[in-house]
Amino acid sequence: MREDAPIFRFNRERAHLCSLTVARVLSQLTDALHTLNDACYFETRRLDGSKRKKDKERLLRWRWLARQLAKMGDDERRAELEILARGYVEDIAGNFDPRVFRVSARILPSLVTSLLAPRKIPALAREPAKLMRLDALKDEVKVEGDLAGLRSLAGKGTLVYVPTHSSNMDSIVFGYALERAGLPPATYGAGKNLFTNPLLSFFMHNLGAYKVDRRLKHGLYKDCLKAYSSVLLENRYHSLFFPGGTRSRSGSVESKLKLGLMGTGIEAYTRSLLAGQERKIFFVPCTINYLLALEAETLIEDFLSDAGKARYIIVDDESSRLYRIAAFAKKLLTMESSVVIRFGSPLDPFGSRVDADGTSFDTRGRAVAPKSYVTGLDGGLRIDPARDAQYTRELGRALVKSYRENTVVMATHLVAAACFEHLFEQGRRADLYTTLRIHDERIPRDTLARLVLEKRDRLTELERRGEVVVAAPIRAASGGDIVAQAMTAFRGYHTSPVLEPREDGIVLADPRLLFYYQNRLARHGLAYDADASVPGRAKGGAA
Amino acid sequence: MTRAPRSATIGVLGGGPWGLALAKAASRGGARAVLYSRRVPEDALPELHVTRELAELAEARLIFVAVPSELARPVLRELGDHLDGSHVLVHGVRGLVGEELATVSDLVRDETPVRRVGALGGPVQADELDLDRPSAIVVASEFREVTRAVRAHLESERLLVHESLDVRGLEWASALVGCLSIGVGFAQARPAVSPGMLAALISRAVLEAVSIALAAGGLEERTFYGLGGYGDLLASMALPNRPEMLLGRALSEGCDLAGARATAKLRIEAIELVPRVTAFAERRGLRCDVFRALSAILDGTAEPASIVRSLFAN
Repeated sequence: MREDAPIFRFNRERAHLCSLTVARVLSQLTDALHTLNDACYFETRRLDGSKRKKDKERLLRWRWLARQLAKMGDDERRAELEILARGYVEDIAGNFDPRVFRVSARILPSLVTSLLAPRKIPALAREPAKLMRLDALKDEVKVEGDLAGLRSLAGKGTLVYVPTHSSNMDSIVFGYALERAGLPPATYGAGKNLFTNPLLSFFMHNLGAYKVDRRLKHGLYKDCLKAYSSVLLENRYHSLFFPGGTRSRSGSVESKLKLGLMGTGIEAYTRSLLAGQERKIFFVPCTINYLLALEAETLIEDFLSDAGKARYIIVDDESSRLYRIAAFAKKLLTMESSVVIRFGSPLDPFGSRVDADGTSFDTRGRAVAPKSYVTGLDGGLRIDPARDAQYTRELGRALVKSYRENTVVMATHLVAAACFEHLFEQGRRADLYTTLRIHDERIPRDTLARLVLEKRDRLTELERRGEVVVAAPIRAASGGDIVAQAMTAFRGYHTSPVLEPREDGIVLADPRLLFYYQNRLARHGLAYDADASVPGRAKGGAA
Repeated sequence: MTRAPRSATIGVLGGGPWGLALAKAASRGGARAVLYSRRVPEDALPELHVTRELAELAEARLIFVAVPSELARPVLRELGDHLDGSHVLVHGVRGLVGEELATVSDLVRDETPVRRVGALGGPVQADELDLDRPSAIVVASEFREVTRAVRAHLESERLLVHESLDVRGLEWASALVGCLSIGVGFAQARPAVSPGMLAALISRAVLEAVSIALAAGGLEERTFYGLGGYGDLLASMALPNRPEMLLGRALSEGCDLAGARATAKLRIEAIELVPRVTAFAERRGLRCDVFRALSAILDGTAEPASIVRSLFAN
């Protein structure tokens, strides 16, 4: 437990941080009328038709405001904006109770243990001391990367953790990983809908989360959110962003990132320079890898349905059902290395590599002062949003590369890739939807084992070049053994079987889930890539 | 138009015709120009400060790079030791480097700590810039502050400066126009090629080049259809002595490659580039009949008349 982490100052500073945020939002406003119009438009549209009493009241208020706008003077408009901004910022900031945090952080390991590995409880109950220890799950949940280097870095600046995102379990699993790695906890924005999920809200509230209401689409709210995150960073709060923005629907590692929040890193850094006190900011990429995906069925269905593209908030998926989580946990935590959290090399806000001392390096390994990147041709330091947006795109590219290199390929991903390629061939390499319609295809065991082995060898080759990581349990295993691992993992978790063993081979029972799991390898040219520029063409699909 | 402060120092790397012309243009714009060259005498021109030290060149924050593409990597690596993130490098190098067809802005990223990088292109010729004759130049960078600074330093009543965000598109356009110029020189020298036929062949070639530039990461078609591609090609057709055109003409008249090279005198990067670009386009499954034909012309593996006929017929 790191009591010196900035999050413990939060309650003392909360009011101050909120005021700073509101002041920032107002100072950056250029057109009060436009901002209010925009908010009125989106809010009336959102609330119109809602049956809830509270929403109806709000709708009336927004309609009234919309009518008044033209008559108001600029001062009145700004006053109105200040009230609105304050309301939003208060809602975003939420509450953090350090006492609850301390308790929950202390019992977190055992909570995670009992939640994820109920079978261990009898054994652990005989040794209560062990229950409190973080390494109770060390065989099942792996935390990898240069942890000592990251711990050193945490003392030299503000950390921004930027992990991949594929499950609502991510923030809990990641919080646990930070604790086990001895890294400071972070504050982060979590979808407001997660706070209504009884299982997750307990952790959310108390792991330093602030609330992001994704239903609010207007510029003012987004400004508040961005300013709040920026102010937290400037005030040295280690932060956590999911650059993917939302859980990966396809199951693939993120290749397109939402850069808005990440850009606050440069702004916060430059402000520290302008204030004469350089405070470095380090982005810490990380992949969270699961042998089984809790929400796979909902997510892939959403990815495959066109309408789903717009369905940004899913409130009724597997993560809201206790028995699903229990089944998931029971499965996952009885298998070795079933969750791997892997930290990549840290980067500065400009996408340059950083060492454990916090020094940035260019591609040729020369030390370079990050300050020089925000220095203009005239030698002056300034905040330039257009310039910084470009730097942030470059940081985004560096993160995507890191995700790809630190993807940990597990038995389920590898076997799914081999199976899906077989299906694709059976469908005469036509297109994705043709392949997904092939039902109950049977593949002989030795054929599948051979396909798996071929792919594993190509993965090993990629791993040698530092482009991917092969999980320990499949590194030296035989093809048949890897298939058996995947079958064990799949068996009994998903509502319908993924692979069914028969006497004469294995039936590929659920092409959609196979597609979901194989997508983890799509960026590496070792599986069908649905995002490839030519639809229906598998990049290097043929083994 | 924003004027650059007169006190600004601009660096130029490379003492060839391009480097000298850029240094003089910057000097006319009011800046103090520092030229790094091992060949140019230190007192060559009164308005230029010539240096032999990269460290002195690096005192300028804005540096134009004007070296042949095959020297770009080693020179940038050496220069990189003297730079930091506050420098801005803008290159006027035509060409793509190595089998992987790296652009010079890629090399800047590989070899130096500089991020704010830009490229020059368009119809302007070194002697036009040198003699301050009316012309137009394109500067592209993903950073608006880079294109703005270059424009402030170079623009005058006689030099139009067009700003673009499409660095890669411009770099590929400049390189591909070099290749196409060989083809234009070749076609022009065929007695059977009428003006209408020439126009059709050029349009076809440009269409191919556009799809190749986009596949290579160019942002938008109009980079090629504008000054950076078509504009550049039109200027090169109007020049009596553009080396690529001379080479094409000589090949068309039956010279072998060695003989044609001798006619053109200057080193032509496009000769090596054509087969590499053709291979690139084939790998990407792009239509590249014109580039295949150019390869055949350079190889001497096809009879000139049949090349033109088959292109026109297709």
